[in-house]
Amino acid sequence: MEQPVLALVLGLVAVGILIWVFWPKKGLLARLGKVRMSSQRVLLEDTLKYLFDCEYKGIACNLNSAAGNLNISADQMAKLMAHLKDMGLVVFEGHNIHLTDTGKSYALRIVRVHRIWERFLADETGVQHMDWHGEADIQEHQLSLEEANRIAARMGNPAFDPHGDPIPSTEGEIPPFLGRPLSSLKEGEVAQIVHIEDEPHYIFEQLSALGLYPGMQVYQLDVQQGKITFAADGNECVLTPLFASAITVQPLPKAEPIQEGYQRLSELQPDETANIVGISSYCRGLQRRRLMDFGIVPGNSITAELRSASGDPVGYRILGTTIAIRKDQANLIFINNIKKEQHEQSA
Amino acid sequence: MMEQNKTKNTEEILGMANNLKWELGMGIHDKIVSSLYADAAQIARKTVSMDGDKPAFSLDRKIDKIVTSRWSGFPIMFVLLAVVFWVTISGANYPSGLLASLLVDTLHPILKSGADSFMPWWLSGLLIDGAYLAMAWVISVMLPPMAIFFPLFTLLEDLGYLPRVAFNMDSLFRKAGAHGKQALTMSMGFGCNAAGVIAARVIDSPRERLIAIITNNFSLCNGRWPTQILIATIFIGGMVSPFWAGLVSTGAVVGIAVLGIAFSLIVSWGLSRSVLKGEASTFSLELPPYRPPRVLQTLYTSLIDRTLFVLWRAVVFAVPAGMVIWLVSNIHIGGLSLAEHFIDWSNPFAVVFGLNGVILLAYIIAIPANEIVIPTILMLTVLVTGMSGVGEGSGVMFELDSITSTESILRAGGWTLLTGINLMLFSLLHNPCSTTIYTIYKETKSAKWTLIATLLPIVLGFVVCFFTAQLWYLFAWGFEF
Repeated sequence: MEQPVLALVLGLVAVGILIWVFWPKKGLLARLGKVRMSSQRVLLEDTLKYLFDCEYKGIACNLNSAAGNLNISADQMAKLMAHLKDMGLVVFEGHNIHLTDTGKSYALRIVRVHRIWERFLADETGVQHMDWHGEADIQEHQLSLEEANRIAARMGNPAFDPHGDPIPSTEGEIPPFLGRPLSSLKEGEVAQIVHIEDEPHYIFEQLSALGLYPGMQVYQLDVQQGKITFAADGNECVLTPLFASAITVQPLPKAEPIQEGYQRLSELQPDETANIVGISSYCRGLQRRRLMDFGIVPGNSITAELRSASGDPVGYRILGTTIAIRKDQANLIFINNIKKEQHEQSA
Repeated sequence: MMEQNKTKNTEEILGMANNLKWELGMGIHDKIVSSLYADAAQIARKTVSMDGDKPAFSLDRKIDKIVTSRWSGFPIMFVLLAVVFWVTISGANYPSGLLASLLVDTLHPILKSGADSFMPWWLSGLLIDGAYLAMAWVISVMLPPMAIFFPLFTLLEDLGYLPRVAFNMDSLFRKAGAHGKQALTMSMGFGCNAAGVIAARVIDSPRERLIAIITNNFSLCNGRWPTQILIATIFIGGMVSPFWAGLVSTGAVVGIAVLGIAFSLIVSWGLSRSVLKGEASTFSLELPPYRPPRVLQTLYTSLIDRTLFVLWRAVVFAVPAGMVIWLVSNIHIGGLSLAEHFIDWSNPFAVVFGLNGVILLAYIIAIPANEIVIPTILMLTVLVTGMSGVGEGSGVMFELDSITSTESILRAGGWTLLTGINLMLFSLLHNPCSTTIYTIYKETKSAKWTLIATLLPIVLGFVVCFFTAQLWYLFAWGFEF
């Protein structure tokens, strides 16, 4: 009687241990990986990165704001800063802290690795866009500059990360910061989103959920206290100033505002035809190239043809062939001018 | 000096390129691609006329409406696949028997006596009883079903129907983090896992392709069907009255196959959320127009590319394995053969998993092909129990025509209903055969994924067998003692 019971218990314990060790994100292996992260060097590098970001955007920066950004106490930050000063990477001017030239080039190296890795994750892997920043925060301390340069060379030396930030060159050059926060845009002005701040995380997630991404045209409709109304590629959005300030835009003085809103391909019903307007910039890398290979490019017309027996992939007719597209992909393809059409005519 | 100049120039140019890229902004690459396509489309609109394919296209639409309809889509698919399997199994029976009687029953004794006349006994045993017999077995069991299954499958593919199956099944596989085309590689795996692994080439997304390759082994391949049917008939069909026996044992085999599909979906789900999380993933599925299949070409390519290719690999692996099988049962240390030493040593361990040492040894030495597992088990059982009058001597694999005499050998080897059930489970969940392992390596070019694809199923197999056995012991205790 006892033996099978004992064996079963031991077996369950063994399976439990295996699961505990290997479980993604919360398992022992994953935790060990995270613990390795919070070393002194990581904190130093993160501080440099923050200081650089402030200088780049022309924001004054002091001990308390840096401590808040890194989520450590002001005392710890003071020790870190003293250490950075001893290393000749920062100088103090009253309350404000500035990077020295050595400090700046150190910071630029980290920023370069960070942004190259984000671009790599976005274009060459299946990592979701919510995770790009967090993963790059880990890799920036582990990857050497040479390794990052090799990755960059393989991707054709990209100039921007997927959030729209410029990637510093190998020489440590970076174009001047031209953007303004969306909240500063006046009524009637037209601009392009150049960057969506990925910190704090909850704001970034909210903005992604609204479908906002770099490259979209925005048209400021109404600015009121506590409420900013604008059209993003023709679709009306409302944000609080806090959220709007996380979006950086570059004014487009001569552009005509896009009047008509877009719909998503997933809304197209069978036997309806529409014009393709574009693919969201969240659809990147291999997947984007694949869609473009099929002819999903602005200006082509596309017809929903048949729904699969289980409902999800829908067959679309484009350029004379039928391809199946899943709903979550169709959500990233923008269309307009939906027309109900007799099929014989469109063929 | 020249060198230095050159590097400086490269850096300068790269720096300039970078500055220009910053000025142009992010979307430049997309804009170039879009304008290329727009130009191409415009030229095509002007110069290509497309009236010719209209009637064919509307017929396509009508067929598509039926085979992808919510009501008739799945029934049509199940009926077609069932017909393919039925034709394969019933059609392969006769040629398989013919080949076996020719290669094993007729040719083997002739070769053996011929070889005995001029070779020492150990050499003729090694070459004829070991190498030749393993090869003969693999060919006679493997060739006929593959020669029927692959052409049928390729015909459906050529007709344009298979992409519609992937289209209908995609939503199920999407939930498991896999690609709809995995339905096709899975079905292909029911014929042969090595062919199923090769078929995963149709999946162009790196992550989904790896998932399809790693989980293909959960499709019960045709080398394992006979084992399942035999064991189910003896142990599970034997539990009920003869009237129900056929139905119950068929149900058990189908149950194992369905369990395999369930495992393949669950493991796909787990893989896509853990080790394969970061791999690039895309979805694309073209639904090509239907066309009359090119029968002769299909026959030729499926016979040469798939059947003979896979068969050749299997034979290459079976020959050395046959020698090993003969050697372990004929090399004696201290009065016992190597096989008996291993079986005695591993028995206590095997009992924990509801198996026995013979089964473990058979699965280790018969790794090249699942087809020779049962002949090896029978030979080893006779060897260990010291039965006389059955089989053809140590190291000579055999099978019996009569199910009752097979049963009496297994019962004499100490098999119970639990051993039968666990053998069926273990036959579903164990490492792929060496042909498949080699094919996985060839396809993935990665030792890591090959290792995972090999070890994952066998670990699962031991876990499942362990819990089945221990629960069994727990409940059987009340009845038996």
